[in-house]
Amino acid sequence: MENLEYERLAWAVLFGHIAIIVVGGFMTVLSQSLGRALVGLIMTLFGVAGLFFLMAAPFIALMQILIYVGAVSVLIFFAIMLTNAWPGGDESGKSPGRKYIYAGLAGLVPAVMLATAVIRTAPPSFLVPEETEISVLGRFFLEDFILPFELISLLLTISMAGAVILAFEMRRKK
Amino acid sequence: MSVMTIYHLVAIFLLCMGIFGIAYRRTLVGIVLGIELILNGAGLSIMASAQLTPAPNELGQVGALLVMGIAAAEATLLLAILLVVSRRFKNVEAGKLITMRG
Repeated sequence: MENLEYERLAWAVLFGHIAIIVVGGFMTVLSQSLGRALVGLIMTLFGVAGLFFLMAAPFIALMQILIYVGAVSVLIFFAIMLTNAWPGGDESGKSPGRKYIYAGLAGLVPAVMLATAVIRTAPPSFLVPEETEISVLGRFFLEDFILPFELISLLLTISMAGAVILAFEMRRKK
Repeated sequence: MSVMTIYHLVAIFLLCMGIFGIAYRRTLVGIVLGIELILNGAGLSIMASAQLTPAPNELGQVGALLVMGIAAAEATLLLAILLVVSRRFKNVEAGKLITMRG
């Protein structure tokens, strides 16, 4: 009896988060001002973090909130601010009506193809995922996955250095 | 329909929205938002595939973390590129950037 209640609660949480993601996604791509679009993106990111929690991966969910919501959206916020895309909104003018259709087709066609493939070939799955301990995850990173782990740190270092060099190059020319 | 399929459909929705955003938005910042949506959908899909099937759980979590790291690196570089473009061309509309110079 109790199990059934928990299951109902889990379904409610699942569809609630999916609703958050859908609303956020539409806000991200359709809203006129880029600030509101960024809020939509943050909403979507929180929704996905909730789904990670529901999949019994709290560490990844917290990392999602920390990295995406904490770092990436702040970076995008700075991009909006520094490129003067905010006032009046470069997105606010009317765009040709056909663009809607073409863009919608470009998004929908691969989505429909992938969705049919997923629905047809999906293997049976668990209803209740198991939680992985963080220590197991850390050992997996440092023993089996040591090369990608080091490569990602190298990638981050290079991209930070590249960003700094790009930004300073222009200043020197002036 | 299994639970994993629902998660995958959500990921595909994010992909669809991202591609739509990339094609529809006129400013480069809007395009960046679309790219973030797609990357997030990829992470969600990897996670669901590992957590809800007999595949090792750590694999999916590590994959999702790597996707996040790549997204962070990409966002940094895009911010720098946007800065340079906006300084050089005085706007960031994708349709108006038609000059290529070294």
